[in-house]
Amino acid sequence: MKIDLKALLNILLKIGLGLLIFFVVTFTIYMGNFENKLIYYVIRPFLNKHYDAQVRDRRIV
Amino acid sequence: MGIITAFIDDRLKKYDPIWMAEHGTGGQRTRYYDVTGVAKYREWRGVKDTLFDYLSWLSNVLAMGKMVASAPVSIMKGFWEYRWMGSFLGTFMFIDRLFEGYRDEELRVAHAQMHAIVNNLTGRIGYILSHDRRLGASKEKSEKLVPIDEVLPELFMTGFPDLFPVPLQTLPEFIICDVDQHIEPYYIDIAESFGLPADVCSRCAAETGVALDDAFPLVGKALITTNMPCNASEATSMFQRRRVGLPDYQATLAMIHNDDELALPFSREIMKETIAFVEEHYDTKFNWDAFFKAAKRINEQNNFELEKWDYMKTGYTAEVGIAETLYKLYEWQSVNGADPYFNKVDRKVMKRLRKCYEKKYQPFGGRTRHRAFLWGPSAVYYTDFPTWAQNCWGIAIVLNMDSTMGFNMVDTEDPERAIDDLTRLTQKATMRHMAVGGWDNVNAVWEWAHNFNCDMVLMNDNIACKGMLGVHSIMEEQARELGFHFIFIEHDLEDSRTVSRQNMRDCVNQYMSIVLNEEPLDPTIVNFDDSDAY
Amino acid sequence: MKDLKHLIYFENLLQDAQNELVTQAVEAGQHALGYNCYYMPEVLLNLDGCFSARLRAPRCTSPDIATYYMTGRTCPYVRSILERAIEGGYNYLSAVFGSESCAAMERMEEHLYLLHPIKHENFFVTIIDPPMRGDKTHLDYYKAQLQKHVLKPLHTVLGVDISDEAMRRAVDRFNELCDVITEIGEFRKLDNPPITGYEFHVIQLVSEVCPHELILPYLKETLEELRTREPEPKFPFRTRVVLAGSEVDDPDFTKLIETCGAMVVADRYCFGSLPSRERIEILPGESAFDAICRHYLHWNQCARFMDGMKIDQRHSELKRLVEEYKADGIIYENMKFCEFWSYEKVLASHIMTAENSIPCCTIEKEYALGSVGQLRTRFQAFVESLEIKKINEQEG
Repeated sequence: MKIDLKALLNILLKIGLGLLIFFVVTFTIYMGNFENKLIYYVIRPFLNKHYDAQVRDRRIV
Repeated sequence: MGIITAFIDDRLKKYDPIWMAEHGTGGQRTRYYDVTGVAKYREWRGVKDTLFDYLSWLSNVLAMGKMVASAPVSIMKGFWEYRWMGSFLGTFMFIDRLFEGYRDEELRVAHAQMHAIVNNLTGRIGYILSHDRRLGASKEKSEKLVPIDEVLPELFMTGFPDLFPVPLQTLPEFIICDVDQHIEPYYIDIAESFGLPADVCSRCAAETGVALDDAFPLVGKALITTNMPCNASEATSMFQRRRVGLPDYQATLAMIHNDDELALPFSREIMKETIAFVEEHYDTKFNWDAFFKAAKRINEQNNFELEKWDYMKTGYTAEVGIAETLYKLYEWQSVNGADPYFNKVDRKVMKRLRKCYEKKYQPFGGRTRHRAFLWGPSAVYYTDFPTWAQNCWGIAIVLNMDSTMGFNMVDTEDPERAIDDLTRLTQKATMRHMAVGGWDNVNAVWEWAHNFNCDMVLMNDNIACKGMLGVHSIMEEQARELGFHFIFIEHDLEDSRTVSRQNMRDCVNQYMSIVLNEEPLDPTIVNFDDSDAY
Repeated sequence: MKDLKHLIYFENLLQDAQNELVTQAVEAGQHALGYNCYYMPEVLLNLDGCFSARLRAPRCTSPDIATYYMTGRTCPYVRSILERAIEGGYNYLSAVFGSESCAAMERMEEHLYLLHPIKHENFFVTIIDPPMRGDKTHLDYYKAQLQKHVLKPLHTVLGVDISDEAMRRAVDRFNELCDVITEIGEFRKLDNPPITGYEFHVIQLVSEVCPHELILPYLKETLEELRTREPEPKFPFRTRVVLAGSEVDDPDFTKLIETCGAMVVADRYCFGSLPSRERIEILPGESAFDAICRHYLHWNQCARFMDGMKIDQRHSELKRLVEEYKADGIIYENMKFCEFWSYEKVLASHIMTAENSIPCCTIEKEYALGSVGQLRTRFQAFVESLEIKKINEQEG
């Protein structure tokens, strides 16, 4: 079977590019601490608002 | 490659907080927004270490993704139902805080161990929530789980391979307080709103609050409580057993347990009764083969631990500070032989530690000035305190009290000998072997500190721990007599409002600056406000 | 009512740990044996040649040195005991038989051998690890603990006869004392009792801190007196309460409640008579020691018991006392910093109120009577609420 070097190179390039994009995106999130900022400033206040509005079965059984 | 990284390191070193502190241009605190504890950007540790930290972060993200994928509906329902679940979102910030200033070998060891914890914990959360009746799991499914008190080591449960032990308080109370300093005050307030005085141990008050708030997962068909570690935990179990509403057994091991003549036969009987209780209520038989397999894992871990201690005594080790403490606490108290992945991690770490010792590796770039033994129950809301102590004043926490939990070997062939060993190990669980149960236990600190070549003892002063408060000045007098630097670190275990993290830091700051007349390694973290941080 | 003949004498006996009867017994060659907790069977400390003295620190208002050692955040009772020991107030003791009933108590007892504050030749301290459940496993452990940490040192260090016969003699003497106190206490069940809660508290306390042999004649005489004592023409209190909870060894606390209008008709607290003055019955074929251990484990109402059976027992026992002593409510008190009773009072007051419809008042107290104004307000409000409840019930 003849290996299509060009196609293979193409695939490898795409994988490489994909990995590079993945790296750039995730490393940016990591370095910029963006996931924590999202959690702290957006998700946490939202969840706390929900928790504060909960009606819980609070009693000594 | 080396040239490139060296070039980048040189260009970017001005962003490295350690370099900044050394050159008076800033430090660890520079990259934070005040009060919130949110970092503007992550710590620059040099190319290699930053990339390593990034990859570790990524693998933790994947572990969490795996958890969500394992039971997406239950996990989402869990987030919606339980306030404490929401706090788990602070995990990434928590890990960042823990390993600030970690570089090179200590960073690798710390992350290898932390990943084991994240892996196990995420798996556990997913499993528990997917078996929680409150979140829609069937009764039959939920009854494979055995809720047990978190302070009761789980090794005995490995003899029931078809059952899944759930340290009931660990998720809503203990581990989550490590992550989020604001979560337990909510539960403490609930307990106090029912009349519980504010001077009881805040850990147990929080557990009580969780019970009163009906916030324990609904799992299992019988509950095992325990008298460990102390009075308040015994007392809070009264509330928990009523709220959980399952048949319960109280594993009341001997409090004064050093006496093999009386305590061992009694505690052995309790262990046997505990096992019999599980057999009866879960209609199963104890499997010695499964138990022996887990016991072998525990023995291997304990052997490693003893070897690690030898390295720690010299200072040429990459196993340091909170990384050591947290891993040991989780591996011993929560996993206790049940997960082979921890042994795999241990083997890898041991290889690294051996090499470190051979090459006389000094952690934290050799910036350690004092070697301290940390004794007494640590503030759960300030888990990264040892990291701060190292970064700010160069105080290395060589070993923590909780790391001295049971390290005896367990027989792996004979059931009678094995049950004795299991009993000895179980009796020496978190806090109870050190903070209560007799003078000898607390007095042991001096020998530990001496053997580990420490010049300093940091004494956690939990303002509600009656066992430790009762020996307050005797300890201080002994420290003076034996020539140790001795600092009480006042805290309120799980209530960060009573004694803030900064109040805790001040205990050290004052001693270091006034008594020892030393300058901080990083002046930006002497005084700072992290009161709104996770 | 006419004053009890010996009341002032009894009150004076409570002014110091080493009172004149204690001194008299020690001078007669008896060994004074200190203890703190009901877990330590009083009867075992009253074998031939020795007598028990439950440790109090009367008039200890500022335990400064003990606070230095144990901080101000531990139980004021144990700090006061340590303070009194450091002051030299227990030098008459040959030994202290301690109990790890709670962490604070154990720490205090440890100080007694670490600091050596009690100056008495061959003084020693032993500490038992008391049981936390009421079943056979724990009974066996209790026996083993008492054998090793009480009987053995009594015999080997003090030369006390610990034979079964000696124990039976001790049980007989103990039962005689219990019968007298119980009979005195039973008067409180009457609609218009010839004794106040305060007077009974004083009587109960002297029976715990004085050598039994020496106090018994006075108690018997007091019993005789009570049999014919004319009560007030009309019940002088507005309501009747059971006082339950942790350590109370200050009769003025009972007096405070009674001055607010509530007679303390039953004393279910540490140092109280319910339990502590029940007869010890030795079953056929049973050794005296086994009977003692069984008795104490059965009657013990400590909040540190964890098993459902004992938890239920302490609540049902309270209910029984309320019914038998015709109480209108319960005052739950806990010594400040007492972990066990801090929890128990929350749970028990809920159970009593919600499940048994018995009104409860919960308070926290210091060892020496303090914050009287606040406590008085609480008690007065409680008394008032009980009265309103009664009026409402009468009006249907």
